[in-house]
Amino acid sequence: MTKQSPKIGVYGFTGCAGDQLMILNCEDQLVDIFGATEVRSFVMAKSDNHEGELDVAFVEGSISTDEQLRRVKEIRERSKVLIAIGTCACHGGPQAMKLGEGKFDEMYKKVYGNAKITLAKAFEAQPVDAFVKVDMYIPGCPIDKTEFLTAVAKLVAGRHPYLYKFPVCTECKWRENECILYNGKFCAGPLTKAGCGAICPSHNIPCVGCWGPTDDLNVSAEYDLLKEKGYKPEEIIQKIKKFGGAKVAQIVGELEKKKKEAKA
Amino acid sequence: MMILKMKKEDLPAFLDSVKEWGELWGPVKKGEKVTYAKVDALSQMDLKATRTIIPPKKFLYPQRFTMFDFDQDGYVERKGDVPKRILFGIHPCDIHGILIMDKLFLENYKDPYYAERREKTLILGHSCIPDDKCMCIATNTDFIAEGFDLFFTDLKMFYLVWVGSTKGHDLVRMRPDLFSRDLDKNDILNYTEYRKWKTAQFKSNVDFTGMPDVFELGYNSPVWDQLGDKCLSCGQCTMVCPTCNCYNQVDEVELGSLEGTRDRFWDSCMFREYSLVAGGHNFRDKRADRLRLWYTHKLQAYIGEFGKPACVGCGRCVATCPVDINVVTVSTALKEQEVGK
Repeated sequence: MTKQSPKIGVYGFTGCAGDQLMILNCEDQLVDIFGATEVRSFVMAKSDNHEGELDVAFVEGSISTDEQLRRVKEIRERSKVLIAIGTCACHGGPQAMKLGEGKFDEMYKKVYGNAKITLAKAFEAQPVDAFVKVDMYIPGCPIDKTEFLTAVAKLVAGRHPYLYKFPVCTECKWRENECILYNGKFCAGPLTKAGCGAICPSHNIPCVGCWGPTDDLNVSAEYDLLKEKGYKPEEIIQKIKKFGGAKVAQIVGELEKKKKEAKA
Repeated sequence: MMILKMKKEDLPAFLDSVKEWGELWGPVKKGEKVTYAKVDALSQMDLKATRTIIPPKKFLYPQRFTMFDFDQDGYVERKGDVPKRILFGIHPCDIHGILIMDKLFLENYKDPYYAERREKTLILGHSCIPDDKCMCIATNTDFIAEGFDLFFTDLKMFYLVWVGSTKGHDLVRMRPDLFSRDLDKNDILNYTEYRKWKTAQFKSNVDFTGMPDVFELGYNSPVWDQLGDKCLSCGQCTMVCPTCNCYNQVDEVELGSLEGTRDRFWDSCMFREYSLVAGGHNFRDKRADRLRLWYTHKLQAYIGEFGKPACVGCGRCVATCPVDINVVTVSTALKEQEVGK
């Protein structure tokens, strides 16, 4: 362990700030976090903030304005390690569910009408890694306390954090739940990264995919299965894109292109 | 080995008495399915249930557990906090599964964590009636002769009770009044009849004969790619398989210190990360390659090494895989060179 505490910063962009709130909600460990690290900047937690060189920057939210883009680039430049926290920062979040569909102008108009927005110039929300290099991802909606704390502990100790790479189904089976998908209902478990402890399926609520895509997902197989179970193609695509962000948008785009080619 | 007789109405009293040895666990309803749960009495158990969602391996080798605590000076094994448990209602297939686990965890390299749990767990087996997914008849695991402490065969009016270990015998000696050694001609006839009856109950006609050859012949079959396209890589098959034993380990440290724990958790060769090595190379990057490894291990390689398949015919993969990839569909697809719909 280095004698000097690592300098960290916590930043939020387009999102609900739920991940920063989750950090503050680590009440029993807050003193330890502030003791083991030097929190240079965390606007949601304190007023005395200093922007300078950082060992680790935690970035929440997707990037959706020119001002945010400038700021995230600037944070990247002065941080040794940049970690995306939360599904919005990691994958884009629900605000990126229509990525690749070319509907941004239409959506923008629907929300803002003809109002003149001068605060910042907005563009379609994208994950942080669409603009700057991200060293590590801690997804979640919001992030899981234990996953976050174990990762911070490892970073402080100078070790590489380990997060589950397998899908929700594995944790779901550990908790000995019946498979919702096997029973014919929509469940995004196989497409979604574990780490939540399969909390929804453990209460018999299907996974909606809020942890974002897992490393090795088979969208095409899940799509075929759900279609076989009677779900409409539009509904399947809409549901898997909800938290799928850039990665799922790209896969779905490729699948649709293949289907068009097969038809032609 | 010794076989005793017990009146069926005496079972609740017997299980009540053995609780003195340790916690009583048995099959209990969970939604439409069944799980092994801690119980107070036989009345809470569902003995008609065919299979639990997860096999009893979870008692001997839990989903995730801490192996030891460490600091900068060394480590201390987490031992002694495993409770003594009596598992009642374990079926022959699952006991065969435990015997395979024993081979892997207790023979060449004895795993202290498995050994401690195995030592503190008593297996009280119970006969079962096969459903349409049971195929233990094809894996020769429909009956069991070892691996249990006691085994109860339900012969309608009474139980025949096999005593399989000295610990099992100790349990019997807690209530000698409930057991009888007077077995007569009728008991033998009843038991023979029961075996014939059970054998006639199987609905699955899956046949694993010749599978090692079929796997060898089909190593490069396009069937693997077709199965790979279907597989969700969800890992459920591995978690529910009574003989899947692979694990991953990770060190977790406490915030601001170098003290921590080494944890072990269930892993799966169905995951890409499993075959990823330093430098970024992956031995089985394709889903098809990973599926082939899993099924080859179960129905070919293990037979070559130990003379029997690493499938005990419990039917859990059949009852779990959402896209219908299981020992039945895979072996059929390989034999017929076509992936069924």
